[in-house]
Amino acid sequence: MTIAGAWICLLAPLAGALAITLAGRRISRRTAGWISTLTTFVAFAGALVAFFGLWAADPSDREQVSTAYTWLAAGDFEVELQILLDTLSSTMMLIVSGVGGLIVWYSMGYMAGDGEERRYFAYMSLFVFSMLILVQAGNFLLLLVGWGLVGLASYLLIGFWHHKPEAVAAAKKAFVMNAIGDATFALACVLLIWETGTLELLGVFDDVGSLSTTTVNLVALGLLGGAVAKSAQIPLHTWLPDAMEGPTPVSALIHAATMVTAGVYLLVRASPIFEAAPDVQHLAAILGAITLLVAGVVALVQWDIKRVIAYSTMSQIGYMFLAAGIGAYGYAIFHLMTHAFFKALLFMTAGLVIHHLDGEQDIRNMGGLKKLMPRTHIAFAVGALALMGIPIFSGFWSKDGIVAAAFASGDALGYTLYVAGLVGALLTGLYTTRLYFAVFRGEPSEFVKTHAHQGHGEGPRSMVIPVGVLTVLATIGGFVAIPGVWEPFLHWIDETAEPLVTATVAEDYGTSAVAVTLALIGFFIARRAFVAGRQIVRSADAWRVLEHKLYFDELYDALFFRPAVAISVALRRNVEEPVIERSLDEIGSGTIQVGGEVARVQTGLLRTYAIAIAFAVCVLVVVFVAVR
Amino acid sequence: MLTTALILLPVVGALVVAATPLPRATTAGLAFLVALMEVALWIVAASRFDFDDGGLQLGTSREWAESFGISYSVGFYGFSLWLTGAAVIVSAAAIGYAVWVGRDRPRAYHALMLLLTGAMVATFAAQDLLLFYVSFEAMLIPLYVLVGVWGGARRQVATLTFVVYTMAGSLLMLASVVAFGVTQGTFSLTESGTSDNVWIFLGFAIAFAIKAPLFPFHGWLPLAYREAPVEVAAVLSAVVSKTAIYGFLRIGVPKFPEPADDLSGVILVLAAAGLVYGSLLAFRAPDLRGVVAYSSIAQMGLITLGVFAFDDLGLDGAVLQSVAHGLVSASMFLLVGMVEHRCGTGQLASLGGMARGRPVLATVVLVAGMIALAVPGSATFAGEFLIMAGVYGQGWGYSAVVALGIVLAAMYTLRVISAILHVEPGVAVRDEALDLRTSELALVLPMMLVLLVLSAWPALVSESAFPANNATQAVLEAFR
Repeated sequence: MTIAGAWICLLAPLAGALAITLAGRRISRRTAGWISTLTTFVAFAGALVAFFGLWAADPSDREQVSTAYTWLAAGDFEVELQILLDTLSSTMMLIVSGVGGLIVWYSMGYMAGDGEERRYFAYMSLFVFSMLILVQAGNFLLLLVGWGLVGLASYLLIGFWHHKPEAVAAAKKAFVMNAIGDATFALACVLLIWETGTLELLGVFDDVGSLSTTTVNLVALGLLGGAVAKSAQIPLHTWLPDAMEGPTPVSALIHAATMVTAGVYLLVRASPIFEAAPDVQHLAAILGAITLLVAGVVALVQWDIKRVIAYSTMSQIGYMFLAAGIGAYGYAIFHLMTHAFFKALLFMTAGLVIHHLDGEQDIRNMGGLKKLMPRTHIAFAVGALALMGIPIFSGFWSKDGIVAAAFASGDALGYTLYVAGLVGALLTGLYTTRLYFAVFRGEPSEFVKTHAHQGHGEGPRSMVIPVGVLTVLATIGGFVAIPGVWEPFLHWIDETAEPLVTATVAEDYGTSAVAVTLALIGFFIARRAFVAGRQIVRSADAWRVLEHKLYFDELYDALFFRPAVAISVALRRNVEEPVIERSLDEIGSGTIQVGGEVARVQTGLLRTYAIAIAFAVCVLVVVFVAVR
Repeated sequence: MLTTALILLPVVGALVVAATPLPRATTAGLAFLVALMEVALWIVAASRFDFDDGGLQLGTSREWAESFGISYSVGFYGFSLWLTGAAVIVSAAAIGYAVWVGRDRPRAYHALMLLLTGAMVATFAAQDLLLFYVSFEAMLIPLYVLVGVWGGARRQVATLTFVVYTMAGSLLMLASVVAFGVTQGTFSLTESGTSDNVWIFLGFAIAFAIKAPLFPFHGWLPLAYREAPVEVAAVLSAVVSKTAIYGFLRIGVPKFPEPADDLSGVILVLAAAGLVYGSLLAFRAPDLRGVVAYSSIAQMGLITLGVFAFDDLGLDGAVLQSVAHGLVSASMFLLVGMVEHRCGTGQLASLGGMARGRPVLATVVLVAGMIALAVPGSATFAGEFLIMAGVYGQGWGYSAVVALGIVLAAMYTLRVISAILHVEPGVAVRDEALDLRTSELALVLPMMLVLLVLSAWPALVSESAFPANNATQAVLEAFR
């Protein structure tokens, strides 16, 4: 029953994607939307069955493996289509299918009238299916399959409006950067095959102790490469802001709530490997800390509403990497969940705003929307408060737990990460408040006055209800882990990934006091800047550097893309054309010179030629046999 | 008997098509029917084949010239049956495409295509070295004519280059065949022992390296793939190239274990170089066929890495990848043909925007493209991963090159997908250019479906490629 729920959860979205694809134009666009939405909710129901089945089970029985068939085999090596249901994967299944269902539902309103909705919903269902493979996979290769397929779905959805050059370029960039991660992930799998003989998660974890330090470090690095690419962490982060070219629900589902957090899931899932390679695990924490700061700063100068939220996503995933890197696995997944709630909420309210303003995304053209869209305003405010980590809202419980854990880990690295986490809290307060004021406060801009749709509410029911549900979740979603009082969520995850570090209750609340103060300072600085009509970043030079996102794009262009093009062109000009394609010409012209001499051999008689060929072959045969 | 029937059906079909004065449409239809019957016959053969055993089956052996140790001896192993399956499916799709396009002089054209099919099947089935040689060469004659007569503007240069390259290989191989047969006292592949003669091995290896082709023996390929009728290019890249892999698996490695081992370093380096080189040239190729052509060089490099990994993972991966790449590259070439047919050009700069209003074309191109770039979960991914894992035993650097290949494949494939489908319509894309018609879809869809089945279950091929699912033992010992 429990495991059947997991299989239903996995297969329902696949059925949805296939049904929409095969039905084609025989079903209406609206029907396609309903198929996608309902199958995702069926998946959620299956996830609930699996979750509660596991909940009711004896703790010793909360690691269940189920195999369908052998997917790939060569000699002794086998990879099965196999799911692993444990406390971690069941939690992820709930998040993916639950938040996914809400966002797909929301899409029905957002995408209404697009004309290619069927394609959209088929892609969305494909994505949910792929994401569920990723979180349910019982072995690393199947995990990699899900890993790659979510990348494919992401590519398809970023480039959904494929007549836009920017969307196509962004889609390609996302795919290629993720392919780099896929490649290092695959290399890690290769090492595991040679060193442990298996790719099954549980089998590998049992064998980790027998691996050499070098091997385990390399495996962990390969996995980290995949995680960094998928989760848009420095240095493989540049694709995520561009990915905002996709439809907004896609940004909510894939580029905030689920797919981009897959890296965090992997770090926690493969924690036995990372614990055996502590340097690499710390590297994950450090990369997370750097990303959370850099993304937080860059968010301060963005003008596009979705890009601000995108940088915020990178920054928040930085927190999760930090948590997983120091071994606070429960908090990493906890923040993953609350972030899924409030970030999906922020994107969806941003979507309502964009929808209301005829597709406008530049916050300079917004302002004063509080009066025009009061309910959207409340929902956005809740999301913003949760993001800033203001008490009682969900983000407060999860983010502060991470920062406290950094403090609790105690060494120099821990304190550094602690400071980074606190500075991040300040930055979050700054950019979130800046965005909130620019969009909702002040007087409506000229643009808003002319473009806002009058009199048809804030959005259709299919959009408003999911936003409402997420508003509630973003508010109360943190109550499942109240330090020192009630922490069932953390205990649940601990069963799969035992934490390396746990903060005391005093550390928790002490950290919270500091972090909330910093967030509020950020709030007041940003509000004062808004009232005074100036930006938070005032130096023109700093602004320019940040606007260019610290020149990562330019750097990678110069380091990788242009050399690849240059090498390719050089090879064609210097090797392919002159050497390989002309090789025969050279031989030919040589032959013409010699030809005069040999012309008399050309009798034109087939018999002579046959004899000559036979003779040549005989000579070769003799040479082959004689010479060794 | 079944194997002989598989060889003779297309040959007899070719003679009938050539000799019977029927109307154009009937001739073409007859050829297509023969090709479909060949597929049906292959399905019968596969259903009689015991994949758990995987050893030589469905065999026939008749003495031919006993005193010279020459026999008519045919049969299938698991891997050769799979390669044959890909061959007959691709042939049927190619002949169907030629019917759809309506090639000139259909009697000659279709007779040659059917002859080519028969020769390919015979190459995969031959258990006698001379029979293998004859079949291997018999593929070339129809190809020369098909490219030389029905090709594009520069078909004569293309044919000449192709002839010179392949004849050079053939000559070396013939010498090796004779030398091997003479020293062994038999030409039978099942009875002959092994040889440690490097020169005889080199004769085979160079012939196969030209046929695959491996870098830097690919001088004939860009021109041939660009000038050949598109369905002939499909057969060339999908199946004819795989006969070289078959040659390595059945003859090159098992019959010459020591020379193959000694020279494996050189071959692995060339294969790895070809993988990167082909990928980079595909990345900047200005036309559709250029991209597919150079990506074929890259893929053949990849498959060769698998063969010379000399372990279960690499060998099984090489077979799986040969089948999968055969189907996907044939699909790509036929799609290229369909796009060229609509736009009159394959220059990427003139194309674009075809996704709008052409959902079927867009879907098929996307699916084929994603399988071509080996998206995780596809059959090509399974093959590529096995090769990557297998070749690690020969050096981690080769695995790293395969990993680099994953990224490069994404770059060049996405480029070509976007160049066809995305952004604004190019100058050559007119509104009248319609979506794929049902008849065109029917040519590509079967190959796509087979690929999807193999993606859901790649073990179907990889597990049954070699006797007792033990590739190393088979290639390094049993085939001797």
